Amino acid sequence: MRDQPSSSKTYSRRFFIKSSSAFAALAVIPNSVKAFYNHIKEIFVPKKEILPLSLRINEKPYSLDVDSRTTLLDLLRENLQLTGTKKGCDHGQCGACTVHVNGERVLSCLTLAATLPESDVTTIEGLAKGDELHPMQEAFLEHDGFQCGYCTPGQIMSAVACVQEGRTTSVGEIKEFMSGNICRCGAYNGITNAIQSIAK
Amino acid sequence: MVKPFNILSNRKGRVEGKAKVTGKALYSAEYELPKLAHGVLVGSTITNGKIIGIDTSIAKEIPGVIDVLSYWNKPNIAALENAEKRKDFPIHHTFFHTTKIDFNDQPIALVVAETLEDASFAASLVKAQYEENKDMDIDFDNVRKRVDLNDMKDDRGSSSNWQNAPHIVDQEYEIAMEVHNPMEMHATIAQWDSANSLRVYDKSQGVNAVQNNLGALFNLDPKNIRVTSEFVGGGFGSGLNMWFNTVAASLAAKQLNRPVKVVLTRPQMFTMVGYRPESWQRVKIGAATDGKLLGVIHQSKHTKSQNHHFSEGITAIAHKVYGFENVQRNATTVPLHLSSPTWMRGPGDSTGTFGVESAIDELCYKMDVDPVDIRMKNIAPYEMQTGNPWSSHFLDECLQRGAETIGWENRPTKPLQLKEGNWYTGYGMAVGLWNAMRRHAGASIEMDKKGNLVIRTAMTDIGTGTGEAIVNMAHEFLGIPREKIKIELGDSIHPKAVTQGGSWGLSSLSGAIAAASTALKEKLATYASTNDQQWKAASIVLGENEISMQGKPDQKVTYASLFTKNNLDTIMVEEYSSAGEEREKYGFCSSAAHFYRVKVHALTGQVKMDRMVIVVDAGTIVNPQAAANQIIGAGVGGVGMALTEKQEVDINSGRLVGNDFAGYHVAVNADVPLIEVSFIDKPDPHINPMGAKGLGEVGLIGAAPAITNAIYNAIGVRFRKLPVTPDKVTSSFNSSA
Ligand code: FES
Ligand code: FES
Repeated sequence: MRDQPSSSKTYSRRFFIKSSSAFAALAVIPNSVKAFYNHIKEIFVPKKEILPLSLRINEKPYSLDVDSRTTLLDLLRENLQLTGTKKGCDHGQCGACTVHVNGERVLSCLTLAATLPESDVTTIEGLAKGDELHPMQEAFLEHDGFQCGYCTPGQIMSAVACVQEGRTTSVGEIKEFMSGNICRCGAYNGITNAIQSIAK
Repeated sequence: MVKPFNILSNRKGRVEGKAKVTGKALYSAEYELPKLAHGVLVGSTITNGKIIGIDTSIAKEIPGVIDVLSYWNKPNIAALENAEKRKDFPIHHTFFHTTKIDFNDQPIALVVAETLEDASFAASLVKAQYEENKDMDIDFDNVRKRVDLNDMKDDRGSSSNWQNAPHIVDQEYEIAMEVHNPMEMHATIAQWDSANSLRVYDKSQGVNAVQNNLGALFNLDPKNIRVTSEFVGGGFGSGLNMWFNTVAASLAAKQLNRPVKVVLTRPQMFTMVGYRPESWQRVKIGAATDGKLLGVIHQSKHTKSQNHHFSEGITAIAHKVYGFENVQRNATTVPLHLSSPTWMRGPGDSTGTFGVESAIDELCYKMDVDPVDIRMKNIAPYEMQTGNPWSSHFLDECLQRGAETIGWENRPTKPLQLKEGNWYTGYGMAVGLWNAMRRHAGASIEMDKKGNLVIRTAMTDIGTGTGEAIVNMAHEFLGIPREKIKIELGDSIHPKAVTQGGSWGLSSLSGAIAAASTALKEKLATYASTNDQQWKAASIVLGENEISMQGKPDQKVTYASLFTKNNLDTIMVEEYSSAGEEREKYGFCSSAAHFYRVKVHALTGQVKMDRMVIVVDAGTIVNPQAAANQIIGAGVGGVGMALTEKQEVDINSGRLVGNDFAGYHVAVNADVPLIEVSFIDKPDPHINPMGAKGLGEVGLIGAAPAITNAIYNAIGVRFRKLPVTPDKVTSSFNSSA
């Protein structure tokens, strides 16, 4: 459960790390001193905080306990085995992790899961309705809007949002508003053509 | 179970397309294994010296941390137990078996924990003690001056008899360090099923190579190692080697007796899985008044690491494209305190081509001749080094078609002619050529009672469309409807195949698919033939429900009755194929002509790719949509190479600067126009049963010089150093003003 903020907040993590060599010496130190150090350590080592989170992913409700450090991306990939959302950088630089949160495109690697209570998340796995693909997925197939496929879920989630945002009125506009999604394979013709075919 | 590769239902696009657009495709980090632990690599903070101790006590205090592997804590590996034995292995397999540090961020520890968050945090708490040696070689510009060129010992003609040619260009060219950066970061999951049996999911371009490498390291029969790379999120060469993430995951899984996953971070993708080395070259070309190219001197130097030899043939291109009667080559490599470079798309040739194709353009402006004409006149009439005739070579047609498409006739022949507002427009062109290779590959076909086929090969599909190409080839050889074919690939349990790369994947595989198709038809002929009715294997056509004989519409037998009559469950064939003696008789190459139009902004220095036309001769095009996509992607890579991609190195510390997608700029969607690709699409008569020559590299080779040549045509400034970032363009304006 949620820990109360403790007085440890007044010490920086950096200070703790700097003093780490002191802990290295623990092995040769008498037990009484060890206990003291252990006490200090507990103050300094940031405690893993597990937070309750309820949200909907692809219309399915989830009640979860999440590590406060877990990003939405890692929640999906590492905890829920929804691996369709990809990690290309983990730093908001590539767009591979794009999902929709409450209908808008969001970089899931820059979004801490714990900040999303009662949110609606849609991932690539939730885009098709059963066996029926989303028109954008069909368009990516038809126009070969990918090669290796790794950036593709992010491209498609961005593309769907891009159409909704009304940013697909010309090739130039599509290219501009899809430039947050890197495709290192360079399948930009197919991506752009696919989006244009849907935007019409 | 149907593998994700084949969730067909609606059959638009590639065979594996639906898996990719629905997120069902599983890449190497995405397999769910019980008790999977997460490993995060820790890199050295010094660049040169020795690691003398590691303090993991704090890291180990972090809840969830299971173990920290390092030089001081690792399983015993007999193959690496002493320095003498370690020499048999590349340095990037032995980082936990040495204390020597040769580059910054060299892996020194692997923190393994229950969750990724625990492992990442604990990794930040690992401390190492070093003996640092501040005396290091980082700055290529300086160090290369100390390293002498070697004679490549394959000169042609003489380098003295053309030195008084009426037209001579003699220039130096440089290209920055470039990093592959496939979108999927290198990742491995390793699990020991028993002490003698290793299961690995790895991001790799060749599962058999990983299998053999791990076999050598762990002293295992490769048969006891299974490597899967079913979906590979790009490679461009970074997946040709087995890197340390694979070794580290395997070591940790062995030590902890549970599966371990190691995924590199994006910054680690710049230091742990290779890059295109920084390079210098000198190109001297002489021409006669009539435009005949007389001779070339091509010299090059490129970086490598301290302890791993790597040499790419930058100057090899001097022998290939043009009919120079006189060729002199000199080259060397320059060891630096950086991680090891490796082959990156169009290795060697794309670098060397920047020099040669730029120099020829310079020559054309000097001589006032058309760059297309001079190339047409000088295309190598046969393979220059062997004297063998080309098996097929349509570079001339590529040039003609490219020139027509872009309207080359109407281009300004001098710089600074076209200006609208602050934008100058320019046209440039260049050619690319790549030896078309074919190597050993195998494939099997399994047929069931309904006539459905599963085709299997160990070869990977790194995004090139191998799976769909196999479908097309099998359809071609057997006549079988495409919907009846399923593909399983990228797994070492399937018939062995060469690593995918070097543009030889499809070329190699086509022989195996053809051979397996023939074997299948022979079996079917035997099973179908009766005393009354003979079946000829070569004429069998596989249909929806039955086989029939070409030209004999009445001769048919259903799969069902064939299987029942012979009491069969499945029919299996497995075949292998390699190149043959045709290699002794002919020269094989793919080629490309790049015709580009750029706009250069007079104030901001921005270079905008306005039109890109690429015409390619790659023999038969097996898979037109995916083939075009390959060339488009190569063109995009060329834009990065020419305009944006440069990995900065701090020459004082040896650290990379800005090693992520914010600091290292690859071309994005808005950086390129819709690229116009076309193919000559004529089969090569000798290379393989499909007549397909391969096209992964050739679209990149020549792209960068076509861009700098176009910039010259626009603004009259010759850029001989890549990338041409806006700051360089603006300062060129300032200095010429
Ligand atoms: S993984 Fe989120 S932007 Fe790259
Ligand atoms: S399809 Fe490979 S990165 Fe886009």
